Amino acid sequence: MNWNTWLPVLVVISSMLPGLIIFGLAEHRVRLRTILNLFGAVVKLFLVGWMLWGVYHGQHFETRLMLLPGLELVLRAGPLSLMFITLSSILWLVTTIYAIAYLEDSPNRSRFFGFFSLCVTATIGVALAGNLITFLLFYELLTLATYPLVVHRGTEEARRAGQSYLRYTIFGGALLLIGTVWLYSLTGTLEFAPQGGFLSEIGAEHHTSLIIIFALLIAGFGVKAALFPLHGWLPKAMVAPAPVSALLHAVAVVKAGAFGIVRVVYDVFGVEFATDLGVTGPLAWLAAFTIIYGSLRALFQDDLKRRLAYSTISQVSYIALGVAIAGPIAAIGGIIHLVHQGLMKITLFFCAGNLAETLGIHKISEMNGVGKRMPWTMAAFTIGAFGMIGAPPIAGFVSKWYLGTGALEVGQGWVLIVLAGSSLLNAAYFLPILHRAWFRDPPNNWPHEHDFGRKETAWPLLFPPIVTAVLALAAGILASAPFSPLEWGQIVAQREFYKP
Amino acid sequence: MNVTTFGIMLWVAVIFPLLLAIPALHSRLPWPRYIAIIPAIIVTLLPGEFFLALPWIIFESELAINGEMRWILTMTVMIWLIAATSTAFSKNDISNDRTATTFFLLTLAGNMGTVLANDLVAFFCFSTLMGYGFYGMLIQNSNAETHRAARYYLWCLIAADLLLFEALLLAGFENNGLHFEIVPTTMAEASSSLYLWAVFIGFALKAGIWPAHLWLCTAFKSPNLLPVLLLSGVPVAMALLGAKRWLPFGESAFFDSGILILMLGMVAMLYALLKFATHLSSKLMLLAWITILMTGLFVTALGYGLAYPSEWVRYQHYLQPFIVIFVVCLTTATLIFARSHAVPQISSLELQSKSKLNLNIIKIQHWVNNKYLQLKLSSRTSWVKTAKRYQRILFWQKPFELTIGWSGRITMLVVLGLSLAWLAS
Repeated sequence: MNWNTWLPVLVVISSMLPGLIIFGLAEHRVRLRTILNLFGAVVKLFLVGWMLWGVYHGQHFETRLMLLPGLELVLRAGPLSLMFITLSSILWLVTTIYAIAYLEDSPNRSRFFGFFSLCVTATIGVALAGNLITFLLFYELLTLATYPLVVHRGTEEARRAGQSYLRYTIFGGALLLIGTVWLYSLTGTLEFAPQGGFLSEIGAEHHTSLIIIFALLIAGFGVKAALFPLHGWLPKAMVAPAPVSALLHAVAVVKAGAFGIVRVVYDVFGVEFATDLGVTGPLAWLAAFTIIYGSLRALFQDDLKRRLAYSTISQVSYIALGVAIAGPIAAIGGIIHLVHQGLMKITLFFCAGNLAETLGIHKISEMNGVGKRMPWTMAAFTIGAFGMIGAPPIAGFVSKWYLGTGALEVGQGWVLIVLAGSSLLNAAYFLPILHRAWFRDPPNNWPHEHDFGRKETAWPLLFPPIVTAVLALAAGILASAPFSPLEWGQIVAQREFYKP
Repeated sequence: MNVTTFGIMLWVAVIFPLLLAIPALHSRLPWPRYIAIIPAIIVTLLPGEFFLALPWIIFESELAINGEMRWILTMTVMIWLIAATSTAFSKNDISNDRTATTFFLLTLAGNMGTVLANDLVAFFCFSTLMGYGFYGMLIQNSNAETHRAARYYLWCLIAADLLLFEALLLAGFENNGLHFEIVPTTMAEASSSLYLWAVFIGFALKAGIWPAHLWLCTAFKSPNLLPVLLLSGVPVAMALLGAKRWLPFGESAFFDSGILILMLGMVAMLYALLKFATHLSSKLMLLAWITILMTGLFVTALGYGLAYPSEWVRYQHYLQPFIVIFVVCLTTATLIFARSHAVPQISSLELQSKSKLNLNIIKIQHWVNNKYLQLKLSSRTSWVKTAKRYQRILFWQKPFELTIGWSGRITMLVVLGLSLAWLAS
């Protein structure tokens, strides 16, 4: 085994090892826990940077470990997986900084950070998985690692949200398992094949089975991706602390589901074969429906985090839509939205957390004049919100641009109506928040104000949303720069659609 | 300095006010509103035509300046200098606070970018920034009237941006580049009426062209808004400029669309003239109607140009000076009238002292008002009837609504929307 073989394992271990050590730490070992958390996050970022550079220059990183006869645990770094792990690694670092400050005085921090690290480990495993069985293993580990985070507060509401989360995800996992086993029995392999999938050689007599398998796999991933009608757990899970919400929506769970859908369409079925089977059309319509449905539901939420949750339901479906449109340009749109949505949504959740932690604001109706009290936080929120609407030149605009032109390319003009409708609804539920925050007079007293002296809030709480907001802005303005998400998206689409 | 350095100055003219918009920066500087305009002034003074394309910027956008645009930029700089001066001497404390300065500088940056943009994407980005910045300025000195104006403006802006985005997508699909030199030509070849209408309606909403003029009128009604009134000319001018640069004039004939647009412009002019005749008492409102009249005239010209491309080629060079003269006149008139806006309604005693001509005008005004009022009352009665009829229908709907709840209704709405989308596709 050489360095290129070990590197994928090291990337996974870099968060798992600190996580396991943190579990064993006593509650008062704050400094050691912080060092371990940050050390793990920085090391992972460094290793991912190394891998990114290597793959960009044509190196191959792959690890194979025997699980069972005929079944291997495969970790492989390709352009698509690297996009996801780069996003996760960067956001894990900022989320860790944020979480350390956010949970400063709360109990059970060792448990929290232990599962937090395991959660990222599972996400990285999902991203690097080179076959469906590896994907499934890490995907289920993700379910188990996030459940304690959802119920972290220990309240009755949190417990109910956790139960709902488990019910949905176990159901999704079961569907996924059935689909995977059925697929294995048909093909005898589960290895991802990046250029066209591994099913195109299968005889026509199995096509009905393959359609059912596709439905099972999409439903399995659709639970975490919060596709309608499997989205019910997500708004309930908002009872979790803000860093967990950020993790669920931007880094790990929802993204893992969306990433799974991308993998199924591209690397299991292959775009061409999936289109021939006629399964991409219904997926596109389901995604379109979820986009509008999520936005409509978001309109009626007064709880800020719930509104953001419904917004996620809507926005994540852009990824599925981009993939299902089945054209190279739309594919770029869908894939880059994986990164763009992560940057924008994590900004919004950090800001929501800041408002809750600093002023005790949980509801939109309590946000009057908050921009004057917390200008930096609300500036970051404004960038995130405008990005979600698709205002130029923020990252969301670039995603929508590629989705729109991609839809025109393959003659699916109806997608433009969906995009326009979604943007309009996004404006309808985000702009009133900004109006309240910036243009209304603040109340005499905030619901539950913490004193941070002359600062608007604690520095470690303020730094992460500003960084992610700047990244969201940069991903849009510098879209054509080397190593931008757009460039990686183009590499992935090229690999999928223009075969050598 | 060489052309590249000149090109860098183009970006500085946009980025400098954008950076200064950060409150922590501008609050440390004296006269930030003046300082922010300096790079743009320098650009107007630099000789020759030059541009700068940055390959790693979004869609490789480009800023450029040529002889024509130099006039527009000079006009823009003048307006912003006047606006900065008027706010500096404003008695209204709110208009000078940090947030107001932020919005002032954001709008300024957006405006400079819109003028200097050399492609559709850059124009769209900066016009959006300008639009939201202007909304911030409108709502900053918020009384009931400005609040209403800002709200109208915001919805117009959102709808306009959506339409322009759709137009951009069509242009992006048809073209390899999005430069102003390429797009109108290729879009004319593609004979894309959809593109034409999306662009036209988008900019009509941004410019407050009739019948999307509500925000403009309401903004003119509000008192103590000298800077905002000054600057309301800027979005109008930029939208007109945008329509001119985005649409395929002189390339091929769009007869039907052109005639429709021409008629719309004429109706807008007629409407403005009627309003003008019936609202002689408020000088500031007169300015609003003059603005609508002039934009109507512009729309008529656009329609004519689209219908008869050869005529457009002959007369197009008058259009840019028209925009410059219009905005300069509007600015001057606003400056003169803004402080004397509180003109009382004419009393019966004053009526007697008026000349015969004036009396006749006022009589016509009253007659039109009465007619209009009666029409409004009769239409209101019919509305009440309609509303009552719907109330009866709603009574039968109630049990159904109770059983399906909000989420069900939303779902049905979504199904309906998607069915329509499918039918449309």
